[in-house]
Amino acid sequence: MSFELRETFDSVPWTVYFWFFFGFQYFVYGQLVSRLISQLPNYYVYYGTGLLIIMTFNVASWSGRRFVEGAHEGRLRYILSLPIRRGELFLEQLVVGLIANIVRIGPPLVFVLWINGMSPPMMLTSTLVLLSMSVGIMGIMISLSFIAFKSFDIYSAIVASMSAILIRFSTILYPLSFMPSSYASVARFNPLTYGADLLRNVLNIDVSQLLNPGISVVVVAAVGISMLTLGMALVPRTLEGVRSS
Amino acid sequence: MDSAVETFGLTKSYGSAKAFVKALDGLDLKVRQGEILVLLGPNGSGKTTLLHLLSTVLKPTAGTATVMGYDIVKQSLQVRETVGISFQEPRGFWRHKPYHILSFHAAIYGLSGEERSKVVDQTLKDFDLWPSRNKKFMELSGGQGKRLEVAKLFVHRPSVAIFDEPTAMVDLDGKRMIWDRIRGLREQGSTVIVATNEVREAEYLADRISIMKGGKEVVTEGLRTLKDSITGGDVVEVGVSPAISSEALKAISDVPGTVRITQVSENMLNAFVNRSEDWLPRMMASVQSLDVRITSIRVSEPSLDDVFLHYTGKEVASIHA
Repeated sequence: MSFELRETFDSVPWTVYFWFFFGFQYFVYGQLVSRLISQLPNYYVYYGTGLLIIMTFNVASWSGRRFVEGAHEGRLRYILSLPIRRGELFLEQLVVGLIANIVRIGPPLVFVLWINGMSPPMMLTSTLVLLSMSVGIMGIMISLSFIAFKSFDIYSAIVASMSAILIRFSTILYPLSFMPSSYASVARFNPLTYGADLLRNVLNIDVSQLLNPGISVVVVAAVGISMLTLGMALVPRTLEGVRSS
Repeated sequence: MDSAVETFGLTKSYGSAKAFVKALDGLDLKVRQGEILVLLGPNGSGKTTLLHLLSTVLKPTAGTATVMGYDIVKQSLQVRETVGISFQEPRGFWRHKPYHILSFHAAIYGLSGEERSKVVDQTLKDFDLWPSRNKKFMELSGGQGKRLEVAKLFVHRPSVAIFDEPTAMVDLDGKRMIWDRIRGLREQGSTVIVATNEVREAEYLADRISIMKGGKEVVTEGLRTLKDSITGGDVVEVGVSPAISSEALKAISDVPGTVRITQVSENMLNAFVNRSEDWLPRMMASVQSLDVRITSIRVSEPSLDDVFLHYTGKEVASIHA
């Protein structure tokens, strides 16, 4: 695993990019846009947590995409030929992805929570929420890898479209009560809505605007577990059935 | 156990009903323990797919195979512990250095500490990679990358070593070095399977050659047997004095093993025969009574290209196109 991690983190510019993306969005865009919004008190804090969800989505997508790229580049093919069980291989990829997520999301998360005066238990719980979401998102991206074996362009387009749709039709940037009813009815089926609301519940931000935390916990856990299971079932079939180069 | 590898109706198909490809079509093949078997076939003949199935990178659609007695589907982990594969294209950990790549490979196969360092250092030196050991994989030349890909198998020396086009992209000196090392691997007890498009490579390495076409094995034999199997494959150029008479021509044509005679000049003919070593004494005996003096004899046996053409209908040169 250390070998995989070294490969992942040798690409320092990516980690710096994720932190830069957060800093720029939070301090420039977040500051400016929250001045425009008067209906939601303290939108800047609301936006900061939403940004963490967006980052989680991007970083987890990146990890899933890296898995697919590994297959294309021949790295996975090599690993598949080594005496490692397929289940272990998948879990290792998942753990590497999670560690990458922690390294890339951890500092911005701690920073946002610290400047908003959050307690260590809140920090720990919110980290767990974000990691659960990461597992689900990575599971989705890896499960979709079979598309990439037909066309990497189609895979990239689908992932980009999914990102655009899932983030906009969710409570990441605006609460459910502010959405037109047609948008809100779509957003209620979006797992990111439950993840975003759960994170804000944990952090005690605008609780009156949020979905029931019990339901959110169930949805986030169910999506994480089901996507992980789906990924574990699909990946070996996808990889072992893929055409040799 | 005579066979290191045995396949039973091994089949691998890809794609949907619209674009269905049967890469391997009910292959039955045996690889003897301790031999070098070379798979020779045009692109798309199923060589790479077979190697990927034997190393459990892919799963068969139907049929199965055993490697050192382990089933590739039911005992895939044990198969992976037994087999090592060097892939056709050197790809993988782009940001790592050759030393780390070989060290990781050695660690996976249970080498540790000083022993691992010693083996890795020696392998890097054996494959002329020592000066490049601290370059990143992505900075290596095509030939260096390929040598690194091949070198992995010399770190753990598997019982069954599989090489997919081991000298593609490698210069002439490098080719000879890799061939010698592969033969050395066999001498140390490994069974070796090599897939190639290169006739010289096949001739240099093979104990037996398996010619594949359309996902099936066409023939598997030693090089000598394959050459002998071509009817009229040996060409004997016979010089005679005085000029060839019709009587002499008929006598030579009637020698058992003669397939065809072509008169090149009044003192020279080409005989296309089976097994020239058997045919020549018979021919000499039959012309002796005719008062014909044989002035020269030159024998050329069929090349592996001729064998390939005979069995596949394709010239080896055309498969590189």
